[in-house]
Amino acid sequence: MTRTVCIIGAAALPVGKWQKPADAPEQVLEHELLAGLVLDAVADAGVERGDIGAMAFSQCRPYTLQKYFATFMAHYLRLPCTGTVAEVLGNGMTAGLAFEQAANDILLGRARVALALGVNFESATSAAEHMMSSMRATGDVDFQVPFGITPIAWYAMDAARYIHEHASSRAELASVAVKNRAHAALNPIAQFRKPITLEDVLAQPMIVEPLGLFEVPPRGDGAVVLVLAEEDVARGLGRPYVRVRSRGFFHEGAHQISEVPNDMIRLISAETAGRTAYEAAGVGPADMDFAELYAPCTIVEVLASEALGLLPRGQGARAAAAGETSLGGRIPICTSGGLQSRGHPAYVTPFYSLFECAEQLRGRAGARQVPNARLGVTSAELGNYNAALVHVLEAVR
Amino acid sequence: MLEIIDIATPRAYPPRVSAFTRRFWSSLAEGRLETTRCTACQRFSFPPKQLCPHCWHREVAWAPLSGNGRLYAATAIHAAPLAFRAVAPYRVGIVDLDEGIRLACALLENLPLDSPVRLVVLRHPDGPLFAARSVG
Repeated sequence: MTRTVCIIGAAALPVGKWQKPADAPEQVLEHELLAGLVLDAVADAGVERGDIGAMAFSQCRPYTLQKYFATFMAHYLRLPCTGTVAEVLGNGMTAGLAFEQAANDILLGRARVALALGVNFESATSAAEHMMSSMRATGDVDFQVPFGITPIAWYAMDAARYIHEHASSRAELASVAVKNRAHAALNPIAQFRKPITLEDVLAQPMIVEPLGLFEVPPRGDGAVVLVLAEEDVARGLGRPYVRVRSRGFFHEGAHQISEVPNDMIRLISAETAGRTAYEAAGVGPADMDFAELYAPCTIVEVLASEALGLLPRGQGARAAAAGETSLGGRIPICTSGGLQSRGHPAYVTPFYSLFECAEQLRGRAGARQVPNARLGVTSAELGNYNAALVHVLEAVR
Repeated sequence: MLEIIDIATPRAYPPRVSAFTRRFWSSLAEGRLETTRCTACQRFSFPPKQLCPHCWHREVAWAPLSGNGRLYAATAIHAAPLAFRAVAPYRVGIVDLDEGIRLACALLENLPLDSPVRLVVLRHPDGPLFAARSVG
């Protein structure tokens, strides 16, 4: 029997600094926040607690003291499951893979309703300390980390190459941050909502040349719960829902860079995963009403947009500067405010992207609603887009 | 032979050395850049590996590299991890060697992309690293 996975409910914590310093007399606890969101999301879906058969968690950051978090939550919620209860880890792709884990339990008939959920707390650890760990995730510990190459430094090198090859400019790339902040201003769960100008972006201190503070992701905490169901269940609820039309995945078999020179700014994984997803859905990039992409830095949004066929190769930054990717433009990208302004609690970031897609496709995005949004594309990635996971999602109303 | 530049301070984040990679680091300390090359398909790998990632042949041999190449990409890191705070901002780059090998390393100067570069050895008191600098 062919099954189809749908998103029928969702709840998300506003992205921000929720975690308290370790010595604070009163703490904000991950499981308490997440449990509340589970009830919100399940109420939003309109299913019963007993319908839920599986829970797929994005793994918590090492800063979360409660270990075996998934099974702890199964107890906290007193939720017996016939499907899988597991934590998933895959660097920046973590929440995308957790979403797939929940979806697969439905596709395999192990559950008719499944939760994809997680919490990412990290803001009480300083950026300088956090980078001691994160640089080990985005490079070879012995042959790259000794040079101090931080995760976003790889993207900065993409930016340098992009400007060089396509006669682009820092200002063109920076326009993506202005656009994303304008979107975030309309998003109640975004971390930074005060509108900014191009001059503001260009005046920020350098973080990794040529990217300044507003062109890289802020650090923050977040939590999201998505309720997934087999389409029979979704249809029976009588509410708008989101159909997962297709997915594509590709890992290029490289970690940051391969020793075999290639075109680093052609994101082959996003291109391949995107093509797989479009073909499986029988659609093309021109059919998309919006895109919610995993793009930590401005340059990454440009490169991913190009790789997914949403903008012409080498023209992505120019198109963003011309307003094509803004709300009201030809193809609105990152209507949530993206990773720079909506925020980037990395292990749950793809959940936030799926949350935004669910809001758009159920017509609930308020002032940032894309009119008549019917089809959207979203991506998750790891490394320097060495792997990409792409979903095409469809509104059913 | 690569130029050797003496650096007064220890490495901010020293690489680990294994019985296998000791050859790479020992040679580097003496100004020789080497990596592994497959005895079957003849392709290089970098970092050096005990098997060929390209064809999965089990036998590789050490081979010298010229250290000459071009700068493919570069950045300067201002927001640094704790261990690198004392040296920030610092430059890093991606270099395509003439032998057709891409690697990442420290970069000693602000150079336009596609500039010809040469790798050099940074001789720290606790061991070597490699970096790229302009030619001539």
